[in-house]
Amino acid sequence: MSSNATVTRLCASSVDHTQRAPVHLMPCEIQSNGSAQVSQFFTATTKDHKSEKTVSFRGRGLKGQELSCPQGYTGLVLKEVHKPSSDQEDRTVRVSSVFDKLTYWNLETPPNSDDTVVMAMDWPELAEGVRVLAFILLH
Amino acid sequence: MAAKKKRSPNVDNDSWVTIAADSVVDAQKNDSDPTFVRLRNPSTGAASLYVLGSGDLQLYEVKAFEEDFHSWFIGQTVQRDGRLVFITPMDPLFLIVPCLSKSAKEGTFQPLDQVVMDEEFSACSRLLKCKSALASLHHIAEEKEVETLKFYRFSQDKTIDWLKKKVERTVTVLKKREICVGEGVKSTTYVRVKPAADHQEEDYLRYAHGLISEYISQDLSTALLKHLGLPQLMSPKETEPPAKKRKISEQPVEAVEDYTKFNGADFSRKPLKKMTAAQKTLAKVDKTGMKSMSSFFSPKVKAEKK
Repeated sequence: MSSNATVTRLCASSVDHTQRAPVHLMPCEIQSNGSAQVSQFFTATTKDHKSEKTVSFRGRGLKGQELSCPQGYTGLVLKEVHKPSSDQEDRTVRVSSVFDKLTYWNLETPPNSDDTVVMAMDWPELAEGVRVLAFILLH
Repeated sequence: MAAKKKRSPNVDNDSWVTIAADSVVDAQKNDSDPTFVRLRNPSTGAASLYVLGSGDLQLYEVKAFEEDFHSWFIGQTVQRDGRLVFITPMDPLFLIVPCLSKSAKEGTFQPLDQVVMDEEFSACSRLLKCKSALASLHHIAEEKEVETLKFYRFSQDKTIDWLKKKVERTVTVLKKREICVGEGVKSTTYVRVKPAADHQEEDYLRYAHGLISEYISQDLSTALLKHLGLPQLMSPKETEPPAKKRKISEQPVEAVEDYTKFNGADFSRKPLKKMTAAQKTLAKVDKTGMKSMSSFFSPKVKAEKK
């Protein structure tokens, strides 16, 4: 754990020239970080039935759904380019890709409104409710 | 479910999937970039991650939504860490309240810059740049102006009033979003079948109180509950019917009326690891929803035993 005094700078200007990338939340842990041929072996085999998507991944049937970011929110993938050599150092992250919607996948079960990630998307508006009062009283 | 496999720790993580308020990266009028900083969490007292927006004008909180066994595909890459991190605007007053109330014991009016600081968390004083904080300090403190200098003294009464308004505001959002807050909160589909319960209003209040309580100390949370006219619930009420493994028969007979015993270790429910903050709050509220259950069943057991 790094010291409480260090900060991590979010290089905001990097957002402008960032490409959009499709983002999938997979229902399994993949013990790897790095490049993979996602479009060739995963995206290419997904099928759309109405709003539900299906795909076979490693022999397991996955059912998925697209989920938009809440209004006023953008998906940002932040990446640390240079690892700090000590925990006393300030750090920098850049926006490596941007997304407006993500696709989440369930193992076997069809996507529905009880899926925790769907409920998680309610959080920003709730948080706004908790915060917003100060402004209402001010204006 | 099969037993969890031993997983190697995920140490080389250098990428995070976030959903951030547009203003985090929009506000480029200032030269400075937004920064992640550690500040003292007003509820736990421990370090939590926040973001100070460009020019420190806005505070954001950082909450990770996490489920076991999830990973990301991002473009043509795999990211092992399956967390989804939310960066949402937060009222900086929540972080200023503990600073002010700590100094309130002295009972004197003090200048802000002497109070809003934390030796352990040097970024704390940057909160004073948040314009919304300075403009709304009167919600939590009494103000005194001596010549051009302003001095403040924490007021618990004002703070509780301010928190109450937050609770009311949150209830409005909950209702608008049709977020289910009652006993059936685990399943939205289930709740919709149920007729509107009489206790719904109280459920909303308790849920909102639970949400706000994540931003305040336990003492303030208790005081706020009282101010809202909600009794403190002593018994553990769970979403599910009393589990068989509770083995009521093992309890001595006199336990029936003594609800404090239900607070014992075997009754504390392990919260699911990967719940969102909102769900955690849900769970909290949930526990309180089943009052009638335990009180209905326990006496019967007593009778049978005799």
